Amino acid sequence: MTTIAAPNDISARAGSAPPTISRLTALGTLARRRLLLSARTPREIVVPLLTPILFALVIAPALAKMVNSPGLDYKTYVAVGTVGLLVPLSCMFAGIGVIVDRDSGARRELLAAPVPRSLMVAGNFVVALAVSTLQLGALMLAAIARGAKFDATGTGVLWFIAAAYLFATASYGIAEVMANRIPKQEEYVGATPAIAILPWFLAGSLFPIHALPAGLAAFAKVLPLTHALAVMRYGLIDRHATGLHDIWGMSNATGMATLSLVVVAAWAVVLSAASVRVFAKSAVA
Amino acid sequence: MTTGRHRPGPAIEVVDLRKTYPGGVEAVRGIDFTVQPGEVFGLLGPNGAGKSTTIGMLTTTIAPTAGIARLAGYDVVRDPLSARQVSSVVFQEAVVDRGLSGRIHLDMHARLWSVTPDSARRRSAELIESFGLGEVIDRPVAGYSGGQRRRLEIARALVSEPQVLFLDEPTVGLDTRIRYELLDLISGLRERSNMTTLLTTHYLDEAERLCDRIAVVHAGAVVALDTPQRLLARLGDGIVEVRVTGDPQAALSRLRSHGLADADAFAVGATLTVPLHDHSSQSILDDLVSANVGTSSVAVRKPTLDDVYLQLTGDSLAA
Repeated sequence: MTTIAAPNDISARAGSAPPTISRLTALGTLARRRLLLSARTPREIVVPLLTPILFALVIAPALAKMVNSPGLDYKTYVAVGTVGLLVPLSCMFAGIGVIVDRDSGARRELLAAPVPRSLMVAGNFVVALAVSTLQLGALMLAAIARGAKFDATGTGVLWFIAAAYLFATASYGIAEVMANRIPKQEEYVGATPAIAILPWFLAGSLFPIHALPAGLAAFAKVLPLTHALAVMRYGLIDRHATGLHDIWGMSNATGMATLSLVVVAAWAVVLSAASVRVFAKSAVA
Repeated sequence: MTTGRHRPGPAIEVVDLRKTYPGGVEAVRGIDFTVQPGEVFGLLGPNGAGKSTTIGMLTTTIAPTAGIARLAGYDVVRDPLSARQVSSVVFQEAVVDRGLSGRIHLDMHARLWSVTPDSARRRSAELIESFGLGEVIDRPVAGYSGGQRRRLEIARALVSEPQVLFLDEPTVGLDTRIRYELLDLISGLRERSNMTTLLTTHYLDEAERLCDRIAVVHAGAVVALDTPQRLLARLGDGIVEVRVTGDPQAALSRLRSHGLADADAFAVGATLTVPLHDHSSQSILDDLVSANVGTSSVAVRKPTLDDVYLQLTGDSLAA
């Protein structure tokens, strides 16, 4: 047995604020913890991927055979649309980790740590984003393997990435808010389809929003997913920006894409801020 | 709340600290105490007395409604990061990531508390050995026994060499053997370091064994604060415990009126507890017999902290 060294005398430390960890290091540490936890529960990464991969490999090609869409590769159209299912599902699954932390994990230890509590949200968010990136990569590879044809330039890819990440940010914001507001994991899981799947049917994932009844089309234009998908398609397959035109009715594609990106960014900012606020309120009684 | 200016002085300073939860529940009703560096201080009281709420306020997970609390001079409301930097907590319930190994827990704590990698490695190695965690430290915590997990949590709290350590009911829910092992471990810390420890418990033996001073907490207020020895001395060297068959309050009143029981005598249920002070147990029994008060059992024993608590609050610690 070795002895435990005595801590320094209090008076020796007095006089100024004690040195605390830098925010970047703290963020890295918190993200590393979340990553280790996620890596030990691979279902968090694999399960959200199942449905979108099924869409890309089976359902989209099957639908493409039924749908007559001149000038449009429907398989590819649906492949991009499937991103709108994958990202929210992935983020909602990440939210389960927040509930587990709260109910049976080390959240209270982290709350007692000398780091700003907003970094706990940020650490989880960083990992959710990384997992979503992996999943998006897998989805795209699956789609390409099944014959999806993307017509992307470097700028187009940037439009896609910007829209995807901003939408993922908004999605994780919702997940974090719900995870901190909903007391039981069962209730959270029960609410997931309403948040992650329902909007997907209305946001132009499988068909353009102009095919919806007028009321629903107007509602779809408010959804961040509608804007995100329109920008993603504009970047990868829809050079004529027909999805964006359905939203804005303008002729300047870049202008419409910028506007839609601003809408998604606004949702991302609002939901991220809400997630930090809700977390802080739920963490301190 | 007053200034959060940092200044040397007590390790823990609590002044008129209050917490009222939404709905008007007053969990803590204005408590005051000061804990000096190196002292082991106990908050003793039953469940619901306000002990955990007090720790929650000191560790910044519960916002005080009013009052001042400082750790090593850092105001927990105005300078929470500094207050957290100088302290560590062992929570009442298990607060671990069950999928991660014990070593990762120590490592995470060290990183978040800004312990340099070299110090963290050295300190972790010492703690793993001292706490007998060598065989399990690289296994997921999910496979730990209750005692191993508790030891890990205490070791984790010590990696950062905190100036103030909070132990919230550290042995609750553990079986007797593990509980005594942990008490031995905690008392070892007491002997080996100058760290300030604030311990909450409702186990009297724990408080008596570990604490330099004890604050008895009842219904959100401190009703007594002293060393265990002085608290016990309040009731003298011995007490007589008499179970009566008649009205215990009437019997107690009679003893008081005859000068055989002081204000510190009390009745709980059918049992009278009378500190002997200058009286003999026989004189008390004689007086009860002469009043035709039946007795079903009589015991003379040394006072315990339970007696102190009952005398102070009229409640049982086991409540």
